[in-house]
Amino acid sequence: MASRRRMLLKVIILGDSGVGKTSLMNQYVNRKFSNQYKATIGADFLTKEIQFEDRLFTLQIWDTAGQERFQSLGVAFYRGADCCVLVHDVNVMKSFESLSNWREEFLIQASPSDPENFPFVVLGNKIDVDGGNSRVVSEKKAKAWCASKGNIPYFETSAKEGFNVEAAFECIAKNALKNEPEEEMYIPDTIDVARERQQKSSGCEC
Amino acid sequence: MDETEIHDLADDADYAAASQQGSSIMSGNDTSNQNNPIDPENAETVYMKDHVTIHPSQYATVRISGRLKLIKQDSLLFMSWMPYTGQTSNARLSDRDKNLYTIRAVSFADIRSIRRHTPAIGWQYVIVVLSSGLAYPPLYFYNGGLREFIATIKQHVFIARSAEDANVFLVNNFQDPLQRILSSMELPRALSSSSFTDSPFSDNQERLEDGGSRHKRDISIQVLEKFSLVTRFARETTSQLFRENLFDDIGTNENKKNNQERPHEIASNEAPIPSDPFELDKTSLVWGKPRQPPLGHEEWATFLDSEGRVEDLNALKKRIFYGGVEHSIRKEIWPILLGYYAYDSTYIERQHFMAVKKSEYEIIRNQWQSISPEQAKRFSKFRDRKSLIEKDVVRTDRSHPFYEGDENPNVDLLHNILVTYSFYNFDLGYCQGMSDLLSPILFIMEDESESFWCFVSLMERLGPNFNRDQNGMHSQLFALSKLVELLDSPLHSYFKQKDCLNCFFCFRWILIQFKRQAKTFSYNTKEFEYDKLLRLWEVLWTHYPSEHLHLYMCIAILKRNRAKIMGEKMGFDTLLQYINELSGQIEVDGVLREAEALCVCAGENGVAAIPPGTPPSLPVEDESIYQHDDEVL
Repeated sequence: MASRRRMLLKVIILGDSGVGKTSLMNQYVNRKFSNQYKATIGADFLTKEIQFEDRLFTLQIWDTAGQERFQSLGVAFYRGADCCVLVHDVNVMKSFESLSNWREEFLIQASPSDPENFPFVVLGNKIDVDGGNSRVVSEKKAKAWCASKGNIPYFETSAKEGFNVEAAFECIAKNALKNEPEEEMYIPDTIDVARERQQKSSGCEC
Repeated sequence: MDETEIHDLADDADYAAASQQGSSIMSGNDTSNQNNPIDPENAETVYMKDHVTIHPSQYATVRISGRLKLIKQDSLLFMSWMPYTGQTSNARLSDRDKNLYTIRAVSFADIRSIRRHTPAIGWQYVIVVLSSGLAYPPLYFYNGGLREFIATIKQHVFIARSAEDANVFLVNNFQDPLQRILSSMELPRALSSSSFTDSPFSDNQERLEDGGSRHKRDISIQVLEKFSLVTRFARETTSQLFRENLFDDIGTNENKKNNQERPHEIASNEAPIPSDPFELDKTSLVWGKPRQPPLGHEEWATFLDSEGRVEDLNALKKRIFYGGVEHSIRKEIWPILLGYYAYDSTYIERQHFMAVKKSEYEIIRNQWQSISPEQAKRFSKFRDRKSLIEKDVVRTDRSHPFYEGDENPNVDLLHNILVTYSFYNFDLGYCQGMSDLLSPILFIMEDESESFWCFVSLMERLGPNFNRDQNGMHSQLFALSKLVELLDSPLHSYFKQKDCLNCFFCFRWILIQFKRQAKTFSYNTKEFEYDKLLRLWEVLWTHYPSEHLHLYMCIAILKRNRAKIMGEKMGFDTLLQYINELSGQIEVDGVLREAEALCVCAGENGVAAIPPGTPPSLPVEDESIYQHDDEVL
């Protein structure tokens, strides 16, 4: 595969069940929306090639199960993440209240080297529902929370209508890139065992 | 080799003792032998070879050497193989083990065929198959003498080469379906598929002895390991599986074709992929029993007595395991299979039970349906739970005709049953994946209360999959990695190297029992068609031959894909994606057959790899309540 030397950026999407994680991912990667997505079991990911400042990257977007109960599996999926996307449904207060929990859980399980500065992006999804009349989480409220957590970028989106999704993921990619150290971190798919071990340990130290 | 080991005591007391005990198990199915001792006065030894050896375990280093004899008495020819006493290559081999393998004067009248294997490098061996279908473990001729063995037999017994395979010698009757089995007995596929030339007529033991470099020897041992796994359980299983095969129409040709179509070789310039230590697709031809047509209405009636009791639950389970159930009688059988209806209940009792359970269900359902909106406002746990269920039922199997379309009442039934269940089992509550397990049940049962109780029974088994601490899933994933280690150690090493030993990539397979393997976005594709899934589930629910057959299924699927997985050097991410994308490629019958073969092959070691209480095993402490399941554990 020609893309093997391309830098891989790993993004994890978290949030309560039914906030639209799978839909956001598919809208961004495939420009498709369906109201027949099934509840995600375990985890899945999609990749998208992106270009940024004349360089090509592979954005690997991980979609995870939304139920709290499956959080203990995160360890396997979160490691090596470059950015974490926290999603809530602006029409469901609880999904917004859960963001803190998701954020903390992520930091515990992914244990990034610099948790204070690990890039998060928050998305308030489903702004299209009912013409905005059933909305319970205001933009102001969401932004205030983001500000309190170290100025997390915030986007209001509609995965169904494709609104703001592209912009949000552009920001996500940029933040992921910021987190990624320089060139040595290229992770080609085909490497021998010894080299892989080496890379792993350097990954932990950085 | 191992000269110190040689002290053949064939003529002393130990020999006699071994002879007496030894035949009982290996020849257990062959009663004609048992009372057919050789009369030493009239017997003449026409062939004798020392250091004919069997490999009872997966390691060629564990072996039992013995003496092979052809004995003529009157006009009859007998074959015997006696292990040497007091010496084995491994202390773990007890005398009992050795006795198990002893072949005590089996008459050629009871032998159906002899298959000869003459690899260019390595020990030559034969596999002897009895008329009963029982096959002895391969006998390796460490000191050569195979050609002489066959030649001697030829002098005394009428044998003919199989038309299909020049290495198979048919003894006595060969107008028999067994012939077809024999032709499929390609146990050491590794030999013929390797670059070695397999010259059937050369007796080339000298090559090993003279020019047998260390390198060659290593290869031969690897090769031997490939099928010695089969050897180990030959004694335990042939009598069951193989004998049954005799009476079945065997679709070996079809299977062979499938195997050929399966890509085995990958990019030639890559480093060679460690070969499968247990060449599954070939051995399955021998060990995995062919699938049968589903159990139909008329045959089902034969399992019942006049009042509707299932007379032999194990026979029923076995029948269902091999063929599933016709759709029209699933409604009747699933509740019995799941243990909701006692199998020994009568039609009338079941009807009564159904009515009792219906009102019981309604009482529990009423517990939440009577919660007023005012009450619900102050009951966030209830609201959250209910909303989680609402979100999931509207995205469960909606492309299936039974659930499709807006305001489909069946979707409401899913909802009601799941909320009721979360009250019935409040501690477990609702967890994602449950709607996937319920939907086929409702589709079959069509009745709210009956579906609920069947679901309750299913959750008795699979509930731990959804435990808050995920321990049920973790123990299954752990068991899976142990089974990979047992049944495919190169693949296990590969997973280890790639940091994939947690087997998380099989999470979805296990959690919802192979349902919807399609990627979340491609909702139109289905791993199994719905009907295939129903078939698979009822087969798994029989808990025959193991309640953990689903884990062996995982292994069978992984094995089918091992060349690709290792060839493309998949890591955790790509492996997960690959597994998630196997949609539509899993062929249920073939995989089940392979899973059965693997399960049988793993034998006690497989059982030992699975921690007690691993779902769907019932928790250890509750075992006594479910005694009727014991036999199929």
